Amino acid sequence: MKLIITDLENFQIPVEGEYQVIKPNGDIHHCIGCFGCWVKTPGECVLHDGYEKTGSEMGRCTELILISRCCYGSVSPFVKTVQDRAISYIHPDFVIRKGEMHHKRRYQNVISLSAHLYGENITDVEKETARELMQANADNYDGLVKDVSFYRSIEELEGIVL
Amino acid sequence: MRIALLNGSPKVKNSASGTLLEDLKGYLEQKAEVVNFGFHSAAITEETIGELAKTDAWVFAFPLYVDGIPGHLLSCLVQLEQAQIQNPEMRIYGIVNCGFYEGIQAEFALKILQNWSIKAGFFWGGGLGVGGGGGLSMMPKVEGGKGPKAPIEKALEILSDNILKKEAQDDQYVSVAFPRFLYRLGAQIGWRQMIKANGGKTKDLEKRLVK
Repeated sequence: MKLIITDLENFQIPVEGEYQVIKPNGDIHHCIGCFGCWVKTPGECVLHDGYEKTGSEMGRCTELILISRCCYGSVSPFVKTVQDRAISYIHPDFVIRKGEMHHKRRYQNVISLSAHLYGENITDVEKETARELMQANADNYDGLVKDVSFYRSIEELEGIVL
Repeated sequence: MRIALLNGSPKVKNSASGTLLEDLKGYLEQKAEVVNFGFHSAAITEETIGELAKTDAWVFAFPLYVDGIPGHLLSCLVQLEQAQIQNPEMRIYGIVNCGFYEGIQAEFALKILQNWSIKAGFFWGGGLGVGGGGGLSMMPKVEGGKGPKAPIEKALEILSDNILKKEAQDDQYVSVAFPRFLYRLGAQIGWRQMIKANGGKTKDLEKRLVK
């Protein structure tokens, strides 16, 4: 299953195979740093606003696809907030990978991560930051980076097939 | 000189970001006026933007979230860029506290903040990545350059000097002076205590909602 997290309310990009889309649908609450998704309701965020199950949905996917405005080399506030709210995908305990501390796996699926980032004036430095950020995300999910692509507009992005 | 300390933790009280800013304030306030701002939610008021525009330097402190800037703070940064504050002399500094042991894991969060400062038309002054932030708010301050926070206090002192001189520094990375295996063990004990305190069992930490 492909899990798509996007800030596009009117998501119209064709997708091959089984997929699920998480997109803006009412207000999203930001992560409050309570760790409730690890120690109160393990696997699910304690804030019930429709975005609380993203962590377990990540546990079902083979591909995680982020479709987002590029903000300074990051994904947009909406997509980032969904990611922040989904740390229950991983386990709170630490492990050492590639010589650095990361979180232990909760699920056995290996995520293949893609990012399709749009924006009119994405600089080369921001593109480099975004590529590095996606690799860091993949390291923390104990997954792999499949693709990081940039587009000048949403219209250009809508020409692709996921 | 007027320096704004911007706490980007979602927590209003008892945050590691707040602890780091308090320690930094101790170095700054004898030579400059220090003003505190709380960026604890996804929007800031026009009044806050107006007050920030009257300062000479902004120091952001925030927790590392999924290798980057927390979503709510990112939203505030977008809002600040759109406010188009015209002050190319404005210095921007960043402090990122990582729950992981290695401060270097804050590298990309600092790069994102640097990219933002350039896009917003400000001057990037550099940052500090602090590893082992999970225990910071519980660690006592020990005088004489000793104790687990000593490397962090030293780095904050250097950062404060650069802020006061309006100079830039290369991004710096430090960790608590505490063995990594003990930090890891302490965290694991802490999670088990917390889940039991919430009425759960240790094995619930492993819970999978998808088979």
